[in-house]
Amino acid sequence: MQNKKLARAGVGSHICERLKNHHVETCKDLLSLTPLEVMRVAGQSHYQSLQLLKSVSLACAPKIIPAQELWLQREDLCFSTSLRELDGLLQGGVPRGTITEVTGPSGCGKSQLCMMLSVLATLPRSMGGLDSGVIYIDTESAFSAERLLEIARSRFPDYFSVPERLLQTAGRVHLFKELTCQEVLTRLAQLEEDIISCHAGLVILDSVASVVRKEFDTSLSGNLTHRSNLLGREAATLKYLAQEFRIPVVVTNQITTHFSERASSSSLSRRWNVPEAPGAEGERDSGYVTAALGNTWSHNVNTRLIVQYVDAHLRQIVIAKSPVAPFAVLNYTVQKEGIRLEGNASKEIMSAQGTDPGLHPIRVRTGIDYRLTGAMATMAPYTIAAAAAAATTTTTTTGGRCENTDV
Amino acid sequence: MHRTIASLPLAPSVKTKLTSAGFDTCADLKDLRPLQLCKEAGISQEEALEVLQTLRSDEGVGGAAAVRGGVTALQLLQKEHALGDIITFCSALDSALGGGVPVGKTTEVCGAPGVGKTQLCVQLAVDVQIPVCLGGQGGQALYLDTEGSFLVQRAADVAQAAVEHCTLLAHDHEQQAALKDFTVENILSRLWLVRCHDYVELLAHCYLLPDFLTKHPEVQLVVIDSIAFPFRHDFEDFSQRTRLLNGLAQQLIQLATEHSVAVVLTNQMTTKVWNGQSKLVPALGESWGHAATQRLILHWEGTQRLASIFKSPSQMEATVPYCITECEAMSGSSNEEKTFRRFLELFLREMKPHCWRTNRLRCGQ
Repeated sequence: MQNKKLARAGVGSHICERLKNHHVETCKDLLSLTPLEVMRVAGQSHYQSLQLLKSVSLACAPKIIPAQELWLQREDLCFSTSLRELDGLLQGGVPRGTITEVTGPSGCGKSQLCMMLSVLATLPRSMGGLDSGVIYIDTESAFSAERLLEIARSRFPDYFSVPERLLQTAGRVHLFKELTCQEVLTRLAQLEEDIISCHAGLVILDSVASVVRKEFDTSLSGNLTHRSNLLGREAATLKYLAQEFRIPVVVTNQITTHFSERASSSSLSRRWNVPEAPGAEGERDSGYVTAALGNTWSHNVNTRLIVQYVDAHLRQIVIAKSPVAPFAVLNYTVQKEGIRLEGNASKEIMSAQGTDPGLHPIRVRTGIDYRLTGAMATMAPYTIAAAAAAATTTTTTTGGRCENTDV
Repeated sequence: MHRTIASLPLAPSVKTKLTSAGFDTCADLKDLRPLQLCKEAGISQEEALEVLQTLRSDEGVGGAAAVRGGVTALQLLQKEHALGDIITFCSALDSALGGGVPVGKTTEVCGAPGVGKTQLCVQLAVDVQIPVCLGGQGGQALYLDTEGSFLVQRAADVAQAAVEHCTLLAHDHEQQAALKDFTVENILSRLWLVRCHDYVELLAHCYLLPDFLTKHPEVQLVVIDSIAFPFRHDFEDFSQRTRLLNGLAQQLIQLATEHSVAVVLTNQMTTKVWNGQSKLVPALGESWGHAATQRLILHWEGTQRLASIFKSPSQMEATVPYCITECEAMSGSSNEEKTFRRFLELFLREMKPHCWRTNRLRCGQ
């Protein structure tokens, strides 16, 4: 709305003409001026300029509605992840109209989760899907169509026993590979058109971090500001589209090592690291792993889910930031059918205590585990998980160790 | 102007003195200041002031009242008491704020991501609607959402918790009658919501707010969540941003005073490197710090959430903890839904007495 021309905002033609001479043509231009500046450029009295600003405001301000109106459409506000416990905590699933971020170490299941969500979105509404297309912006070349179909087949064997349905699902997921910042920005700029033409009901950006981290050397001064600006613009575009089309937007993020601040910041980091697994001891001095892209970006996401390792096959989803859900930890494994939650008693979910989602420590694979299973896991995480599934059933009952027990 | 002094409603002794000093008509008195008149006519300062005020009120200029334009601290005290505060349901925070978020003032809530800024705002938007007989404000709320973080499910949960809490408090008939009206549906229909996508839409709404508030005088709380997001990108010219923000701050303060509403803004935190150390400070720069009357910073210390009063003209600088506590109803697994509801309720209310501590903030950081 900000680019609405003043003439269409009910401004008289002679004032329009005058403003045009000062390069004030749109609502945005005019509202970016203070009333005093408006007096000068429009040649109006103070009262008249205020009236002018008011009438222009009226033309471009979104409508005020009572929250009750949204509440009546509440069934329509979420996109179910088909993971019962997670849906329960998020009050129905991934919220529409907002940005949900999934962050975590590599190979932990971020892209798996995204692909699984893509399958779900293409399902008919009767099965909890959105019956819509998916826009999948892939910046890491991690998307695999074969894997997508495998998830579909294994997760819904009955529905996808008909090959046409499988093809339909595959045809509805629109993949865009964008490997530079500029390409991502261009893609986002035309996303509005893409969403309409693909009938998209879900937008996935996997990942938001890789391109910006590749192209911005944050050790140079000024680059960090530039990067936050760029990310802020991306977030604003995604939020706008999510809101206008009432669709969920899922982005993934990488992890970074956060070096503990010096003695001044008290015992925070030490305290956070104490209950870590024994293998993490070596990291105590060198800092801890946390979500990438910094504090400013953390403000930009509405919901942050962290995926992390517990051991070779068991992983955890942590709800680190959410407007609706409490801090919670859920165990899962990556299976043939995508993400499967394992042995989550409600007591354990809630017993965890949260901390700053921007600084929340993320558990990565520890050294020993990595040597044992690393090679296999990077090649085909789901197959080893499936192989380990038999063992899982006996061992997961101990799952849900709380990582942040307060000292 | 040719009215004679004798015809003015003044004490005879004063009139005599004036006449003997050579003042005959009102026109003679017109440009005099009280002290000058007092010397010339040999009357006391109070009498001189009375003469001049009588003269002015006679001309219809008005202003016979004690001091024009100002109010005494006593009047202000009475007015502020009448306006009241919006309680946060967290006793420690309430007492640190001096009873809650003050109506008629602007309050800024800064905090790290996910620390609970939006939660506090939603809580306030519900709490402002608590009926007067139950100690609330019985008002309505306007919520300007710039981040898309307002989720109606959450608001409904908070509303539900507030209704349940008030049901426990209601004792007499009047309170119970008031509660009939205090339902989740009604709370949500009195919570006005608007989603602003960029700073232009936000500014547009700020120009329109006076009209909206005149039309809806019940609204006693205006929330802008957050002020920072639309202003943190899209700006190449930082002086323009500062200008717009200063104008906005002025408008909001004016709004708060003229329409007797509480204005609550949320702000993000940014990392500032200073002397080789990085620390979190509120975003939007130093000059924005003057914008709000009160500043509250929510931050983490480990797993503990703390609220600090960072700037307040009337309250001590203090830091209080607020927690999400587990509730005892957890054991029953069928109570899952209830558990979530409880979580909301507990969000800002409960505080553990043993972790209560107040320390003065190291200011000037």
